[in-house]
Amino acid sequence: MLAIEAERVTKVYKSAGRAALEAVSLQVEAGKVFTLLGRNGAGKTTFVRMCATQLMPTSGSIRVLGHDVVRQAKDIRDVISVVPQEGRPLRALTPWDHVYNWLRIRGEGKQAAKEKTEDFLRRLELWDARDRPAMNLSGGMKQKILVAMAMAVDAKLLFLDEPTIGLDPVSRRQVWSAIKDWKARGGSILLTTHYMDEAEVLSDYIVIIEKGAVIAQGTIQDLRRVIPQNTRIDISKDGLDREALEPYGSVVDTGAGMLRVFTFESAVRDLSELALKRNLPFTVSPVTLDDVFVHLVGSISEERK
Amino acid sequence: MMLPQLLPVQQAFLIAYLTGILWLRRNPVSLVFTAISPFSFLFVLFVVSNGQHVHFAVAGSLVMALVGYGLALGQDISFYKTEYKIQDVFVASPVSPLTYMMGLALSELMFGLPALTVLAVLVVYFGASIVAVPLLVATILLLWGSMSAMGFFLSSHMLHMRNATQVISFVNVILAVLPPVFYSVATLPDTLRYLSYAVPTTHASILLQYVMGLPTPADWSLALGLGVQAAYLVGFVALAKTKAIWRET
Repeated sequence: MLAIEAERVTKVYKSAGRAALEAVSLQVEAGKVFTLLGRNGAGKTTFVRMCATQLMPTSGSIRVLGHDVVRQAKDIRDVISVVPQEGRPLRALTPWDHVYNWLRIRGEGKQAAKEKTEDFLRRLELWDARDRPAMNLSGGMKQKILVAMAMAVDAKLLFLDEPTIGLDPVSRRQVWSAIKDWKARGGSILLTTHYMDEAEVLSDYIVIIEKGAVIAQGTIQDLRRVIPQNTRIDISKDGLDREALEPYGSVVDTGAGMLRVFTFESAVRDLSELALKRNLPFTVSPVTLDDVFVHLVGSISEERK
Repeated sequence: MMLPQLLPVQQAFLIAYLTGILWLRRNPVSLVFTAISPFSFLFVLFVVSNGQHVHFAVAGSLVMALVGYGLALGQDISFYKTEYKIQDVFVASPVSPLTYMMGLALSELMFGLPALTVLAVLVVYFGASIVAVPLLVATILLLWGSMSAMGFFLSSHMLHMRNATQVISFVNVILAVLPPVFYSVATLPDTLRYLSYAVPTTHASILLQYVMGLPTPADWSLALGLGVQAAYLVGFVALAKTKAIWRET
């Protein structure tokens, strides 16, 4: 069963005069967390908004839970829930006002709405602030109100457009936990984020978009294979020549006073000794999604220059 | 997993409760600000005419208040759409655009309730007969409905909050200041008088003047006044339903 099936979807904004998305084809399996990654303006939000029936596609077709987004928008709207990008709660209203009344508008009975509101406010640590106007809450708490509104709804498909933006690390983990619970109950999620650790923790499948086109997709394991080496070593470049590291693998400058070597586990001992001999700090870690993203998007940007 | 659908009218009342009553309960001072402005022209006309034009001033102020509260819906919608992005949450839900419009229009009515009540009571106070009260209620509902639908339609086409404010202020002047709302339609030359009959606020004001026992023009009738206003209501609701931008293109 597919939650979303997009075929050659193109979106051209009249004001921009160029395609924000061009012939994008994707399939999102139901019951999974599907993540879109991309730089600012890559087209992630455009894709999400078209799937969530907020924006019309220019051409191509999108089916959400079996319904066509153009002709059967009403059927889709009954079973989805969204956190919009850069959304804000209403200033004078409290977290309780937002979540409880939104659930009532979406058709929940009073008792069920009360129970769910309490559950989600507690889960996202908004319970103690439930009666405080949103204007007196921190940016992170405001964002969590929107997340609670979306997740408390009994929907089948959840669209989360950068849901953890501006949240502290603890709050982000609370949202992650809620997302995992939501998925465990059989729901599907289309997520966009700029946090690679978030994508690694939550995603079953990832698509990377750059300048309106899909440049890579797969599971995290699939994407990690984009970089042939499985290990990275960051060594302080203080007095260290890049050439000295190149025999061990591909070297990039992190821009933070470190040289990063993508290599294999077998080279770790030699590189560690090299660093120790020169008394240079170094760290060893597996290749991350962040590395893959920079590698892919960076090389595309270079090609286009 | 799917929930039973609420009736649109239930959803509209819940939206009005959320954005109107709850907002006012949390922030009651905003009631004071919105209640004062409709009395500004009333005050000036009363003072300048030494109380002579009080009937016109009351009728005009009530019409102006209804136009203002109706069109203010457009500003709210624009704010919810471009600043809060909360409209995106409503679009991607079972709430229809007309339900959303009705909910926010009711919410605006809450903000305007003190001023509208005082002005309506003044109309009844100056009125010739209690029998005319249904006419007063009908006028209020027709004008408020058509102005709300117009505000919704206009704001849906505005990309920026500032544009919405400017356009709505402009329309406010066109509908509530220039036509014979605060003055007698009889003072206009024939051409302009016929032109003013095309404007719904002219008829609303004449109807209120009629309720207060003032003479009405010979070429005007109750049926014409109610008919034009009903036509505007139907027209603007139809426009809001079919031509307002709910889902962006």
